[in-house]
Amino acid sequence: MTMESTAHSSEALPPGRKRRDVLGWLLGIWGAGVVASVVYPILRFLSPPEVPEDTSRIVSAGKASSLAPSSARLVPFGGEPAIVLRLAGGELRAFSAVCTHLSCTVQYRDDLKQIWCACHNGHYDLTGRNVSGPPPRPLAPYDVNVKGDEIFLSRKA
Amino acid sequence: MPVRTWLDERIPINAIEAAIEHKSVPRHRYSAFYFLGGMTLFFFLVQVVTGGLLLLYYRPSASEAYESVSFIMTRVPFGWLVRSIHAWSANLMIGAAFAHLFSVIYTHGYRRPRELTWLSGLLVFFITFAFGFSGYLLPWNELAFFATRVGTNMPGVLPGIGDHLVYFMRGGKDVTGATLTRFFGVHVAILPAITTVLLATHLLLVQYHGMSVPPSEETRVKRTGNPTPAMPFVPHFVLRDLFGWTLALALLAGMSAFLPWELGRKADLFAPAPAGIKPEWYFLWMFQALKYAPATLVGLSGELLVMVPVSLGALALLLLPFIDPDTPQSRRVIKVLATLALIFMAAMTALALVARPS
Amino acid sequence: MRTCRARITLLWLVAAAAAAPVAAQVPAQSGTAAAAVTSPAALFRDDVHARAGLTCASCHTSGKPPYGPIGRTAIAPLCATCHSNAEYMRKVNPQLRVDEYEQYLTSTHGKRMSAGETRVATCTDCHGAHGMRVVSDTRSPAAPQNVDKTCARCHSDHALMSAFGRDDNPPEDWNASVHAAAFRRGDMSAPTCTTCHRPHAGVAPGLASVTLVCAQCHVREAELFSKSPKKPIFDLLGQGGCMTCHSNHRIQKPSDAFIALEQPALCATCHNDQMRGADVIKSMRAGLQNLDGGIERASAVLDRAERAGMLVDDGRLVLHDAREEQILTRLNVHAFADKPFADTAAKGVADAARAEAIGAQALAELRYRRQGLAVATLLIIGFLATLWVKIRRLPKT
Repeated sequence: MTMESTAHSSEALPPGRKRRDVLGWLLGIWGAGVVASVVYPILRFLSPPEVPEDTSRIVSAGKASSLAPSSARLVPFGGEPAIVLRLAGGELRAFSAVCTHLSCTVQYRDDLKQIWCACHNGHYDLTGRNVSGPPPRPLAPYDVNVKGDEIFLSRKA
Repeated sequence: MPVRTWLDERIPINAIEAAIEHKSVPRHRYSAFYFLGGMTLFFFLVQVVTGGLLLLYYRPSASEAYESVSFIMTRVPFGWLVRSIHAWSANLMIGAAFAHLFSVIYTHGYRRPRELTWLSGLLVFFITFAFGFSGYLLPWNELAFFATRVGTNMPGVLPGIGDHLVYFMRGGKDVTGATLTRFFGVHVAILPAITTVLLATHLLLVQYHGMSVPPSEETRVKRTGNPTPAMPFVPHFVLRDLFGWTLALALLAGMSAFLPWELGRKADLFAPAPAGIKPEWYFLWMFQALKYAPATLVGLSGELLVMVPVSLGALALLLLPFIDPDTPQSRRVIKVLATLALIFMAAMTALALVARPS
Repeated sequence: MRTCRARITLLWLVAAAAAAPVAAQVPAQSGTAAAAVTSPAALFRDDVHARAGLTCASCHTSGKPPYGPIGRTAIAPLCATCHSNAEYMRKVNPQLRVDEYEQYLTSTHGKRMSAGETRVATCTDCHGAHGMRVVSDTRSPAAPQNVDKTCARCHSDHALMSAFGRDDNPPEDWNASVHAAAFRRGDMSAPTCTTCHRPHAGVAPGLASVTLVCAQCHVREAELFSKSPKKPIFDLLGQGGCMTCHSNHRIQKPSDAFIALEQPALCATCHNDQMRGADVIKSMRAGLQNLDGGIERASAVLDRAERAGMLVDDGRLVLHDAREEQILTRLNVHAFADKPFADTAAKGVADAARAEAIGAQALAELRYRRQGLAVATLLIIGFLATLWVKIRRLPKT
């Protein structure tokens, strides 16, 4: 924006100039407000969010140290429950916890050493295969990785 | 040494400033249309900024695209805003580009010596549709997937090259993840590169030749001897431009808050197409016209009945400055043809919008 | 007889007269009657017995072709000559059981047939006579997919059933049940007639054993029920466990409304305000209503947020948990006691509340966005107003 040329003199500023100054000042304030309301969201957008990645492909399943052998834990994964279990020998395995019969959430039964669905007595072995009862298909397996003390589940590559 | 002097030794700042200060914009009955070009440019700049921001979080693969857009909309601060603005601004840009194009046709701004301005602008216009088409697929949702499938089918009706064209566009026989990656590369790299060159040419030529004046104004000047009044580009025109741009910004923000852009469901390659799949509004007229075409015509696909006239029309547009002898009669013909085209497109669009899913 | 032709004609008339009473013995509803009329030889080509090398004479041991039908009471013992012979069956199909005839004899059908009643089912009525297929072949009348239609041939026949003093409802009732619906959806684990009434030992499970039959799939409910205070009472009253509330054939989706002290709730059939158990019923009803209400509220809020453009996957996940707890709570009703019902109900309510909170948060975020927009719009309007004035004040050109 160029300034119009005005007569410079040592007299008091003509009233028009004073009005233009106020106007310019106001314009600056409002303009700065508009610019701020554009720049602020952009800056916030640029800063990495708390959850750095989308959780439908890889999710944390809690601490490895607090998952004892012969026990299991249910965690949310991509909008559905997943079950991560530690076998008696220490190995970690994870599956979708959605029963393939009528979609109830399954659980680990240490007395049976199997994954079990309470709704209609469906049984899965520890490789996720449906071995008894109504379920028509095995449970979908997930990849398990441990980084530090944290367990990570991801969909099978 | 003052910064200004230092810079001016190296970059012709003073010359540029002088040129800008001397630039003036004619004022006449139709000078309001002069703002449309700048408005289109504004929306384009918004696209560049929001698109660049989205690039920081978007992932262009079939298995991650949808999730990354969902991530942007839910977890990234103001991600919902950036994405919605990007989607709305795309539509508004195409609308503004249409208006800009037709206003140039009606005011005959394509005449000598502005033929290359016209050509570069028209090419950018076509590229804008390519931007819209390629960008639409990127969220990899149901709607986009099927709309792309329908859209990439259309060139298949061209005899001979049709199938190769479809294969080339899709990166394969069907719309798959390969299509997504291809469209992504086109959308964020290839088209922006081409547009930069064309747009820069277009803008520089506009500066060089100044704003064109419609024939009616030229006649008035010749008749009365009064020259066309003008306003200085800076500050008169620029401030008005700024006004329009700020208003457009408010519109974009409002639409994002009250009419957020949907995400829908993730594309499933094996699901059947839901009923009533339609392309975006700016393709609707062609989509609807194709529906009325007969199945076959003299052994060739009936859709050619639409594609050929449309292609010829596009060609005629490109060659407009060269085929218009610039007489009052020819100019009237062009205005009538433009009006007919507008009516046709509007009617087709309206029919498409009220049509029940077939 | 004067002419050769006349002699042959007479021969045919005599043969027809002889065949008629034999044909009349065959019950009209038996598939074998129709099969006998339409070229059994052609049908036998597809028969599983033909593949094993058997011929017409293997079963029609007396007479010459064209064979008459085998007497109905003789059919089962005839089949048993091979199908109860373990050594023989081991050679032709070791996978098949060899005790079907034994089982059949313990069944109502078998007992009556042995006593000479020919209007009950025997082997060929369910398996076909010529063109018999293995049960796993979906074209066999004895295949699980077709069992209900096969049984219904007799058990839906009003005249036939009333002759035995029975209802003709069961097949129709089963067809209206959730089990039939599941079956038709393709869930082959759903029970059909032969699942609860064994295929060859077709008897209604005794009232004492209905619970055990249902328990094959509905383990948790049966477990809870057998440990509940209801079991000894039902045994005393001679009521059949599950069947009392859920019916045996026309099993519908149970509803929370079963549990209340006012008619037409199921509990109210026996219970009233004064009887023992009234407190439990009241607290269960309240618990179920609370839980369902909480889930409905949460679902409504999440829907509203979604319609307004917010993505609420987190909330939906928690709501899914709440629905799981609701399933478990409804399951725990069968303990007919305060615990463990109250525990899962409380968890469900908590989950529903969390889901609702997430939905409310999304709506709050929406309000925050619109407030932010209002602020930005205010700034823009201020700017535009000032700019307008500035433009107006620019010197005329």
